[in-house]
Amino acid sequence: MSPGRSSAAPLTPPELTRLGTEVRLAVEQVSYAYSANPAQAPLFTLEATSFQARPGEIVAILGPNASGKSTLLQLIAGVLSPLSGRILLNGFVIHSLTPRNRAQRIAMVQQESRLLFPSRVWEFVLQGRHAHGRPLRFESSNDMQIVQDALVHVGVAHLSDRLMDQISGGEKQRVILARALAQQPLLLLLDEPTLHLDIAAQVGLLDALRRLCARNHYTVIVVTHELNLAAEYADQIILMQSGRCLRVGPPATIYQRELLEQVFQIPLKVEMRGHGRPRVTILSDS
Amino acid sequence: MRPLTFHKLLFQCLILLVILFLVVIIALKFGAVPVSLYALGRDLLRVLLGQSSQISSDYGLIIQNIRLPRIILGIIVGASLSVAGTSFQALLRNPLADPYVLGVSSGAALGAILALIAEPHLILPPAFGALLTPLCAFLGATATITAVYFLSRRGGQIDSTTLLLGGVITASFLSAIIVFLMSTVNSSNTRGMVFWVMGNLSTSFQKSVYWFLAAGFFIAAGVIYATANDLNILLSGEKEAMHLGVDVRRVRFVVYIAASLLTGLAVSVSGAVGYVGLIVPHVMRLIYGSDHRTLIPTAALGGAIAVVIADTLARIVVAPNELPVGAVTAVAGAPLFIYLLRRRVA
Amino acid sequence: MGDFLKKLLPPRLHPAAFAVLAIFTCAAAPSHAQSATHSATEPPAFREVVDETGRRVRIPQPVRRIVSLAPSLTETIYALGLQDRLVGDTDYCDYPPDAQKKTKVGGGINPSLEVIASLHPDLVLVTKSFNRLETVIFLEELGISSYATDPHTVADIVSSTKTLADVLGVPEAGASVVGGMQRSLDNLQHRLGDLPSKRVLFVVWTQPLISVGTNTFLADALRHAGAVSIVDSSQDWPQVNLEEIARLQPDFLVFADSHFENAQREVERLATLPGWKILNAIRDRRYAVISEAVNRPAPRIVSAIEELARQLHPEAFSERPGDTKGKVDKEDPSSSSMAFTLPALAFSLYSTLHGDHSSTGGCACGH
Repeated sequence: MSPGRSSAAPLTPPELTRLGTEVRLAVEQVSYAYSANPAQAPLFTLEATSFQARPGEIVAILGPNASGKSTLLQLIAGVLSPLSGRILLNGFVIHSLTPRNRAQRIAMVQQESRLLFPSRVWEFVLQGRHAHGRPLRFESSNDMQIVQDALVHVGVAHLSDRLMDQISGGEKQRVILARALAQQPLLLLLDEPTLHLDIAAQVGLLDALRRLCARNHYTVIVVTHELNLAAEYADQIILMQSGRCLRVGPPATIYQRELLEQVFQIPLKVEMRGHGRPRVTILSDS
Repeated sequence: MRPLTFHKLLFQCLILLVILFLVVIIALKFGAVPVSLYALGRDLLRVLLGQSSQISSDYGLIIQNIRLPRIILGIIVGASLSVAGTSFQALLRNPLADPYVLGVSSGAALGAILALIAEPHLILPPAFGALLTPLCAFLGATATITAVYFLSRRGGQIDSTTLLLGGVITASFLSAIIVFLMSTVNSSNTRGMVFWVMGNLSTSFQKSVYWFLAAGFFIAAGVIYATANDLNILLSGEKEAMHLGVDVRRVRFVVYIAASLLTGLAVSVSGAVGYVGLIVPHVMRLIYGSDHRTLIPTAALGGAIAVVIADTLARIVVAPNELPVGAVTAVAGAPLFIYLLRRRVA
Repeated sequence: MGDFLKKLLPPRLHPAAFAVLAIFTCAAAPSHAQSATHSATEPPAFREVVDETGRRVRIPQPVRRIVSLAPSLTETIYALGLQDRLVGDTDYCDYPPDAQKKTKVGGGINPSLEVIASLHPDLVLVTKSFNRLETVIFLEELGISSYATDPHTVADIVSSTKTLADVLGVPEAGASVVGGMQRSLDNLQHRLGDLPSKRVLFVVWTQPLISVGTNTFLADALRHAGAVSIVDSSQDWPQVNLEEIARLQPDFLVFADSHFENAQREVERLATLPGWKILNAIRDRRYAVISEAVNRPAPRIVSAIEELARQLHPEAFSERPGDTKGKVDKEDPSSSSMAFTLPALAFSLYSTLHGDHSSTGGCACGH
């Protein structure tokens, strides 16, 4: 975390020179339908959804399972193509970018599939640099520095020479985050990052995210179903249910008891605490 | 953290090149016809200096016209099969993949057997006639590559699982056709198929063929090497690879075509030499790691070394008779594979 | 398998054993013939012989219906004048042309037992190098006897023909055929006299290079033709290293093909390859082409031997000038058709126009 961050400064895509642009990510009336068989009715649809996100903002896509959260994230990542509407990152339509250009701007953190030939932690994080520089290349000292910084930021620098299958689940999740940071993106997407983490690890991860957001002005979009974590860390929440976006707004406007009970189908109690962050308590059947 | 540098890579390749050179010298010395090192050195020097016309000794002629071309063929075939094997293991995300798993060698064999059946009935100029079988084999290989590609397309790109299944089915189907042909067709030429069963480097070709093979190898291997970084990431997982900037669709297509062509080239001239494409990548991974920027060139060199050694043994073990080189690679390769399996790297 | 049986009775003993048995069975024959003239309720007559693989065979007398499972045996039957008794032969039996009209039972390795059985043969003729022991055993279980030949030298072929004639009940025809063969061979020997043998490479196949082993009748045939094979191997069909041939530099290459043009094309093709063109025989185009009869241990092999001798030693045949280049004795260009069953092959057009020789009395596998 050196002050002279020039070596780790994000490479500036041309559009960022337009400083003062408030909105970084604009999701405009995006819908999607997935059907296994084109002749049949779609198995799943995402109805028109819109929201915007700014640099330094943490957005949480919140909802129960099968609400369309991950689909929306995949659309933002550019992996899926919307049926209607469009998604703009600093004015560029995401889906029309090449995978390489996309990877320079958007980084994804998700559950890692089983590695065929496990690599070392630092090699793994180094993969984040792939989108920058020539396709066939040997990594420069600049790349190595960025990798080192990323490892330090997430707190796994001491594991850099270990093999990926020799570290714990929580450590692995942080290494994956480090790889995403090494991409030096504008947009950081996380799909249920707290799933297999214990509470300390969850808090550690989200604290790190908040720090990084403030420092590097990332825009972070987190898909989660953890009500209280979303309440604590998100600046904006997108509440989803069954493929529909019910409401977009800061936590205070989302965390209303009737609304949440309807979405999550459980009795609960909402308390508004001092610093504007609500807390949800699940009421047991009594 | 020690990143790969160009110098490190060069050094690793240089060691293997030296080993290859020594192996070639040994292979040139040993054979059905014994050659002294002095005579060998003298004649090699003459070849290098362009004075090959001055090689008058019988042994010199043998070296130049029989043994040296055969060694060169072994190098190209070994390198091609190893690079193809490495590529397929990455493409299919399967450590058991070898160059033949997608049916290319069966397609080539079918092309060859059709050529052998047809050959007595065709009038061909002599130089072309010698090339008929390899050419038809290569055509068979490319036809199979195309067929399996279209079989495995889902949503406009190659799907790994479908590719593997489609390739295996195609290989079985083609093999069945070959067995059918060999049992029903009444041609004495089909005895030539024995060549294909085990792989054989004893066929002599015109000079231009060797140049063509070498060019084909460097082009195809070069294309694959350009995707080395992409392959590294692809092995982490397809979804992740896409998010990291790998154009998965393009890389899959390019690697599939290039690796299949490498296999087709090798099999057309030497039959199906087994185990090289499967084991050499694993051995190199054991020594040098899984980074494809190192793995591809070292596998190529390792494959060349392996095949030249195997072919030398094939030539001297029962001299003046010879074994097919595939028999030697099988005898050496199977135990080696079991050993690797137990070390749980395969 | 066959190898095991071979060990029971060393090859050299075969002619002696047959001679003894032939005497005994000939002595016994008249009494059998007498019993055959009795009424039909008499049990069928049998004769027991030991065939060339050492098996005991019970042969019904007389032998009226024969099935041949090898082209060489078919040829021998025709040579002995027994073609009317031949009720079935293999797909590969193409000489003489009349043999192609006989009922086909399939190939030599896997003939159709049903078809053979439906022909009700008295005797099935097999040869060890072309047929399998399993076939013989199956036929035995069906109650059909098989007689096997196994010649390894030209002399074996001669004596085998004679013994076969005796077994089939036509010793006079046998004596005549064998006498003719022997006379030709002796005549040839006489002509060749003390001429030094030519060192030759008999080319079975070029890709890979396969030649003949020392213990085959083919190698012996070469010897009778005034040639000696430079390949010394105990395998029947050894794959040889081209280097060794280049070192030994044979005087002649010998090809067995009824079509001279094929061999000529092959040689021209080889002349363009670096490994082959350093052979003097290729460079000087010194090659001999003889009919494929040399592949079959049958009476016709003698004419193939003569053909070869003519090409290798023209000076011994000065009253009939020939040249050193290959000259095919056009005995009988075969017109057998290939048993194509794949309709998709356009080459079937060619096959109906030209036709091709199938192989042979010997097993044509490389290893």
